[in-house]
Amino acid sequence: MRFDSIIIGGGIAGLTCAIRCAEEGLSCAVISSGMSALHFASGSIDLLGRFPGDSVVTDPFERIPEFINLNPDHPYSRCGEKAIADSLHYFADQLQQQSLQLCDNGRRNHFHLTTYGTLTPTYLSQKSVYSPDLEKAFFENQKIALISFEGFRDFHVPLISANLPGQTLFQNRQVTTGTVDLSPLIRSLKNPHEFRSIDISRMLETDEDLQKIADSINELAGDAGIIGLPACLGFIHHNHVYEKLQGLVGRPVYEIPTLPPSILGMRLDHALKTRFSNLGGVFIAGDKVVRGEMQSERMIGVYTENHGKTLLKAGSVVLATGSFFSGGLISNSAGIREPVFNLDLAYEKDRKQWAGGLFFQPESHQFLEFGVKTNERLNPFDHSGHPIDNLYCAGAILAGYNPIREGSGGGVAISTGYYAAEKIISRTASTGAATP
Amino acid sequence: MKSIETDVVIIGGGVTGAGTFRDCLIRGIPAVLVEKNDLASGTTGRNHGLLHSGARYAVKDSASAVECIGENRILKKIARHCIEDTGGLFVALDDDDPAYSDKLIVSCRSAGIACREITRQEALQIEPNLNPQIVRAFTVPDATIDPFRLVSANVLDARERGGQVYTHTRVCRIMTGPEGVTGVQCQNRLTGEIFEIRARVVANASGVWGEKVCRATGIEMKMFPSKGSLIIFDYRVNRVVVNACRMPADADIFVPGDTVSLIGTTSRKIAYEDIDTAEVEEEEIAVLLEGAERLVPNVSKTRLLRAYCGVRPLISLEKGTVDGRAISRGIVLVDHEDRDGLKGLISVAGGKLMTYRLMAEKTTDLICHKLDRTDPCTTNSLPLPGSETKGRVPARRNQFKGISASVIGSTQYRHGERVHQILKSDRKNDGLICECEMVTAGEVEYALQHLNVEDIVDLRRRTRLGMGPCQGTLCACRATSFFIDLKKISGEKANQMLVDFIEERWKGIKPILWGDALRETEFSYWIHQGLISTKKKSETPDEV
Repeated sequence: MRFDSIIIGGGIAGLTCAIRCAEEGLSCAVISSGMSALHFASGSIDLLGRFPGDSVVTDPFERIPEFINLNPDHPYSRCGEKAIADSLHYFADQLQQQSLQLCDNGRRNHFHLTTYGTLTPTYLSQKSVYSPDLEKAFFENQKIALISFEGFRDFHVPLISANLPGQTLFQNRQVTTGTVDLSPLIRSLKNPHEFRSIDISRMLETDEDLQKIADSINELAGDAGIIGLPACLGFIHHNHVYEKLQGLVGRPVYEIPTLPPSILGMRLDHALKTRFSNLGGVFIAGDKVVRGEMQSERMIGVYTENHGKTLLKAGSVVLATGSFFSGGLISNSAGIREPVFNLDLAYEKDRKQWAGGLFFQPESHQFLEFGVKTNERLNPFDHSGHPIDNLYCAGAILAGYNPIREGSGGGVAISTGYYAAEKIISRTASTGAATP
Repeated sequence: MKSIETDVVIIGGGVTGAGTFRDCLIRGIPAVLVEKNDLASGTTGRNHGLLHSGARYAVKDSASAVECIGENRILKKIARHCIEDTGGLFVALDDDDPAYSDKLIVSCRSAGIACREITRQEALQIEPNLNPQIVRAFTVPDATIDPFRLVSANVLDARERGGQVYTHTRVCRIMTGPEGVTGVQCQNRLTGEIFEIRARVVANASGVWGEKVCRATGIEMKMFPSKGSLIIFDYRVNRVVVNACRMPADADIFVPGDTVSLIGTTSRKIAYEDIDTAEVEEEEIAVLLEGAERLVPNVSKTRLLRAYCGVRPLISLEKGTVDGRAISRGIVLVDHEDRDGLKGLISVAGGKLMTYRLMAEKTTDLICHKLDRTDPCTTNSLPLPGSETKGRVPARRNQFKGISASVIGSTQYRHGERVHQILKSDRKNDGLICECEMVTAGEVEYALQHLNVEDIVDLRRRTRLGMGPCQGTLCACRATSFFIDLKKISGEKANQMLVDFIEERWKGIKPILWGDALRETEFSYWIHQGLISTKKKSETPDEV
């Protein structure tokens, strides 16, 4: 088997890269060992939420040039401002092709409500979470309703409403709360008190149930002008559920993220995978790359657990395996390694420095910044210090950024995935696509 | 100022204080318990959870061994739901002194501890993960005991008999009059409220903190704090208690407990002023892992869950002692009227988790003496609430129709017969809140209503919520909502409570932050900072 590019890792960085390559006509495979971290994410795309010194960023594109100057080894500095902006447009366009609409606030950040009733800055959100129309409705209505489902453990209305008065946006607003009892609608032995977001999503995708649930929501919301609900308004058929529900309750509805599984993140995951496969990409799930094969300082292919001795040949390879959580980096008491290619890493050797004394300390933790060192083109280095020029790294495996402290996780994944794809495309064009 | 009248104030909600509290109430003596943090939050909750047979002490200290086996038999009867009767092994390796093994047999026999030598093959059958290089093995009647459950059951019994409990309440001063002690002045650390409890006897059962309590009355009672550290593995790697067959040393006991296993301990002298801030050192982690590997090879390759330490309350009675020579390792009961001329104050310290009931009996005997009473002690036969009947299968089983057997089993495992007050056949009640440890909504509500729970850390000690592999990442958020619903706490307080809980978990994870622990930490950090923004407040600018 031979591909123009093989992308290791089926998360947001890997799929962005893969879609861009496939769209350009490159033969492309994604090898994914497990579940994407999107299942645990908010489903919004953070670009730059906080600036060093912990100030909240309202206008990320205003600040990125300064940010790049201050952080020359940051992945954003590798991509440059233009590629960052292009990549986010591109990402939103690709999802739009799959009928998943992402909204921004001009070129500014917007805020979305969390599971905990706090507000956090982000750049792109699904239209059911943030849109200029929703924002307008939010400001026009003094009365807000927050409705959940009886016994739903992963979204608790009293907790959110207890935190709301502390938020400037919610001061002096009248919040009505309530819970919808799903038990009369359940046709199985499942306990509604153990439902997860996905179970509720599936119920809402049934028109008959949706009608009844909408009736309950309508009643509970009273005369509120806008209704907030846990983000489980449909998974695959979210557009249908969202439009129909708004019609049935006769007012704007918005979604608030829940504890995992994150339906918002799963929608992104599903849309990206579908887009890739619609473009003719090959998604190899449940397989794990064990090592690469080098020839004259170039990566000529990879071996996987399931393919055994068969070499999957590639013109270019992208490593987008994530950090510790996703298994892209592995640690033991002696140190950290990158398990596929044993690449050169940037990390602190003194283990005591990996994390701070407090979990919630403002300066975050160093281990989040550990990762693979790369050159300007996102090529990693082998252990003798040579860059491998047809191997690229993208997303959370990269060193030199702190996704949580900066609020930059989604932005880095998308821009580095896109940037790596651009390099692969121009490289393939100059050397000629080798696929028969 | 609020004032409460009683006969006895007990300072300290560890196992000794809780046992004394219960013993007083059983004998009909009105008593109040005051604890500055949570029940079992000090030394009591920071050990192996080993129900010693006494074999560990037999060679070196036969009196302790005799005490242990006696209490071992009593606790197996009165505290059934806190104990898992695993049995234990002593195993010798090639480099262990062979003479110790011979002494063990002889000493156990003279202490009355059933100790039997078995073959290497038999030992490996009992404990398949054991080091196959062992040269000798012995069975002993060791078992495991859950100290949190034990304290909670003692306190629950005392409360049901009319005793009052104030947790998260510190003693500001001990009040005295011409006749001696008249009570204590306290402050609730959560509300700030100051109140007094008037009593004829003040029993200082605050363990290593007892030196501070005595100092408040001008009395010197010197403690020699010794830190013991342990590591918890995220799997139950052994079935039975495994002891290294050699003189007691660091990392020589490997204990299974619920869903995990623990190796311990170390023994490091620390300065008295460090008792509240002691941490597990890097050097101790290495020693503990090496000791664990010796008993169960490759165990350090399994996931480490956390590391923690406790401080042993070794005490010296001689005034003016500066070194540790006069340290007593047994039970120390001090009548400060005899020793220091202060009537009404008594202190109890030393001892072990194993002998808590005996310590409580002796302390309550002295309290009776002070109050001119002669009520006999019955705690050696009166079962704790939840342990009334033998056997694990609940009576009235149809009460639990529709609830999965694993949920019934876990709840009963933790609360014994009180399972009947916790589980109800209503679907809201049996929804799982903590999947790792199978804690239901009903159990959370029961703990909040009946077991002196003020925050999520307390809830963890009563239910195991948050003790599993995810260390509370998801269930702590869910639990927070119960405090809002049932305790009507504010959003701000709920945030702080969740943050405190996560920070408390973090203390134990930090020393072993590599491998799967680091992986889980990254996940947890994402969830708390990325998804739900636990700690971030008012990030919005004034206008958006």
